[in-house]
Formats: sequence, structure tokens, C-alpha cells
Amino acid sequence: MRIGIVSPYSFDVPGGVQNHIMDLAEALIGLGHEVSVLAPADEDTELPPYVVSAGRAFPLPYNGSVARISFGPVSTARVRRWISRGKFDVLHVHEPMTFSISVLAVLSSRGPVVATFHTAMTRSRALSAAQGLLQMVIEKITARIAVSELARKVQVEHLGGGAVEIPNGVAVAKYASATPLPGWPGSGGSLGFLGRFTEPRKGFDLLRTAYVALARSRPGLRLLVAGPGDRDELFEEIPADLHDRVTYLGLVSEADKARMLRSVDIYVAPNTGGESFGMILTEAMAAGATIVASDLDAFRRVLDGGKAGALFPTGDAAALESLLGSLLDDPSRRASLAAAAGVAVSAFDWPRVALRVLEVYATAIEATDGRVIDEEWSEPPSGP
Amino acid sequence: MPGMWSVTVVVAVVVLLAAYLLWIAHRVARMHERAQSAERALDAHLMRRAAAAAVVGEATQNVELYAVARLALDADPDERESAENDLTRQLQAIRLTEGDPATRTLLTTSRRVVVARQVHTDLVRGALTSRERLLVRALGMARRYPRPQYFDIEEPVMPALPLPAAPPSQAAPLEAV
Repeated sequence: MRIGIVSPYSFDVPGGVQNHIMDLAEALIGLGHEVSVLAPADEDTELPPYVVSAGRAFPLPYNGSVARISFGPVSTARVRRWISRGKFDVLHVHEPMTFSISVLAVLSSRGPVVATFHTAMTRSRALSAAQGLLQMVIEKITARIAVSELARKVQVEHLGGGAVEIPNGVAVAKYASATPLPGWPGSGGSLGFLGRFTEPRKGFDLLRTAYVALARSRPGLRLLVAGPGDRDELFEEIPADLHDRVTYLGLVSEADKARMLRSVDIYVAPNTGGESFGMILTEAMAAGATIVASDLDAFRRVLDGGKAGALFPTGDAAALESLLGSLLDDPSRRASLAAAAGVAVSAFDWPRVALRVLEVYATAIEATDGRVIDEEWSEPPSGP
Repeated sequence: MPGMWSVTVVVAVVVLLAAYLLWIAHRVARMHERAQSAERALDAHLMRRAAAAAVVGEATQNVELYAVARLALDADPDERESAENDLTRQLQAIRLTEGDPATRTLLTTSRRVVVARQVHTDLVRGALTSRERLLVRALGMARRYPRPQYFDIEEPVMPALPLPAAPPSQAAPLEAV
């Protein structure tokens, strides 16, 4: 199948949507499809071979951060040329409710269009002002995908439409093959945490309390923390004699994130709420860590009801401490949990997720030209 | 030459108006054609699911499953929705193991029904919205097309599957529970 994917945001700057698009494109190529990705990019940016530049991107404050997009006559011409040369069987745009080349691509398309909604925020204010344009964009979209239940709900409420829910995938192989940081995980046991540690709902306070208590009786136990925040603020709350056993990496790149997750014996997700999907859990599972997580609905689902990771009562620091203690003393139980996690996470592996996306492509094509597609998308490609 | 000017203006207005109306008519036509295509596709996928369910029912000697699958295949249009719902409920009640080809086909077809139903519902809603426009109603632009109908069935999702087969790269053995 010939597939054209449109990224609204520039590949110059890393971001969740861009990563999603690259992983999806690579998975589809791996399944034997022809994929071209159109994205804004500066002339001198190095791009993967399947990415076509839609011209320079300019910064635009969007949804609390700065997105780099392109929009205008030059972009329009490039989008049209890319579409007419591509002869795509299906066009897949991302975040079509923002002012971006996604909108341009939808409006220039003639065939089936699949749209993926990532954020719960559905439309820019500028687009809401242009009601007629919004209506034309929605009309041209044949099938919609939402990456989370929340995104899907907002779809239903604000745009008056449904969406097929397909979660983000995890590039399992990337995590499984990452090299641990030098000297990690070490022999004295190591715990890991990734996220904004100052944010109460991430639950870092629970882990810190448990770690400080455990570190007293386990002289080798170390803690590895990554995520945005202020170094001093992190160490302020940790007793001074433990400072050399806590490592803070700051904000990490995708590659370093994989290495960080490979570096710990136990990954701890002490969140007290608010996670719609345990993306970070699936990544830690792929990296081969043993997972300890709060007993939240989303986490329980990802962890196969507690078989692929150990759960503790949400918000209970004492329970977390005793659970971590028992797991640190029991390497064989850790190994069996990690092995179960490795099997459970394969359901979120990108090639599998890409097969679900292909089913939506097929449905969009069927609804556009009336033919019913016989191909068996769900069968993994033959070979070893 | 004021007469000349007014003629030009009138012609221009008429041309613009005609272009606008043609454009609206084209959009209405496209929405209806898509809703019809989606309906045919949904129909085909429901048939495939019922056929796959009948095969599994026969293979596992599940008489009830076989019976509801046959009923779904043979249902008259006005009984189709309830027959498909019966089949969905029957499928949700059985325990499937992902192993034999018949079961895999059943799971595949069930997933396709979920997506086809969602897309059909969205396209029918879009076509109905396009019919509501004042201009479309006044000029009878949608008269050529039958009013699209929702296919009102329950969300035909299958229960969570047993864990997928281990990936070939790192076939970690499952520990005994």
C-alpha cells in the first residue's frame, strides 16, 4: 500500500507527535508498505530517508508550548505537489484541528483520509473562528483514530464524531537493545523514576520516603531519577549522607531515556492519579525492568492485572517500601515479573499497533471507493 | 456604457453563484456516496464475522454459537440489528484461545467490524448533517440519495484476548503462575 503521512510539527524539534509518526512510519515500512512522510523542516536538517520537507517551519505558541509549523502559499504548493506525485492509497494526517500542513493536506486530498488525534485539545482558536473551514476539514476525513480514551472522549463531545482508539506503540526493540549507563545497574540494587518529580500526582514523594527508609538497611541501594526539574530541589529533601547514592539526569533525550530504563533493577511508578495510559510503563517493560506501580486502573490494565508487574495500594508509602524490600531480596521473582512484562508489552509493540492502523486505512479506503479489501492485514509478515 | 457594466456584474454574480451551488452539491453527493460505500463495507464485514463465527461454532461444537451465527447470516434487514447483537453477545461470552486459523479469522473479522461500524456511523452523521443545510433542502440537492440510516448495534468488541504469542526475537518463557 502507498501511504502518505503528514506531520504538523517540525522534525527539527523532538516531540511526542513526531516520535509517534517516525515509529509508525518505520513499522509500516517494516511491514512492506511504501511510506512517505511530509513534515515542515529547515533546509539543512538531516531527515530520515522517508521524510519530505514541506518548507521552513516557524515557531507558534501552541497549547502551552511552542510548536514549529508551516502554513502559507509555499507550503500549500509543496503539499499539493507531494500529494499528486505520491499517488497514495491513503493519506494519514495528524492533529488536523491545528493550523498546519495537516489542514492543507486534508483540503488538497481527493481520496481516503485518516486522521489521528493526539491531544485532548481538539482545535485551535484560529480554526474555531473559521467554522466553515473546520467543517470542510471534518467532512473530508474518512476515518479517525484517537490515541487515548481522553482524546476520543473530547472527539465525541466537541466534534460530534467518534474515533477508533489505538494507543501509542512502543518501539520494543529500541528499548530492549539500549546500553545501560556505565556502572549501572550495579550489584547493590537500583531503583528508577522518570517524570516531573515536583508534580504531586507523579507521586515521587512516596518513592523518596520509601527509598530513604530502605537505603538505611541496604548500603548499596541506589536511586536514578530523570525528568525536568531543579537539581537542588530534588536533593533538598534527601538526607545529605545519601546524596552520593542518588543520581539525577535531568531532562533526557529519547535515546538516553531507553538507556536510563535499562539501567535500573526496578522501575517505580508511584503516581497517585491522572495517567490516562501508562506509556512510560510500557517503555520500562520493553527495557526489561521489573515494574512496581500504584494500583491505578490504567496501570493495572497495562500490567495485565498485576502479572506483569507488582502493584501497591495507591498513595501508601509504607506498602511501597515493603514491596520494594521484598522484591530486592528476591531476584527470581523480579526476573519472572520482568519476563512476564516482556510478553505483555509485545501487544504494544509498534508492528502490532501498525497492523491496527492498517485496518483503519483499509476501512477508510472501503468507505471512499466502495471496494471491500480482502487483504489479511492482521497476519504478521512471513519469515523468521 | 453603464448597461455593459451591469451586464458584466450580473453575469459574474450568476457564475459565482452557480459555482458555489455546484460546489455544495458536489459535497453533498460525496458525503452520501461515502455513507453508502461504508454501509456496503460494514455489511460485508458483518457477513464475514458471522461466517467465521459459524466455522468456529462448528469446530468447537458450540451449537448456540453456530445457531446465532446462522441467524445473523440469514436475518432479514429489519431483524439484522438484533441478530448481530445476539451474535456479539454470544461471542463475548465464549472463551477464545488464539491458536487455530478459524479463531484468528474470527478475531480479525470482529476487529474489522468494530472499525467499519465506527466509520459508518461517522459518515452517516456527516451525510445527515449535509442534508440539514437550508440551501440543500430548499434546492432538493439530496433528493437523488436515500436518507442514510444508522446501523444501530452495540459496540461489537471482543473480550480481552489471552496474551499474544511471544515475539520471535526474545521468546521469554512465561513463568508458571
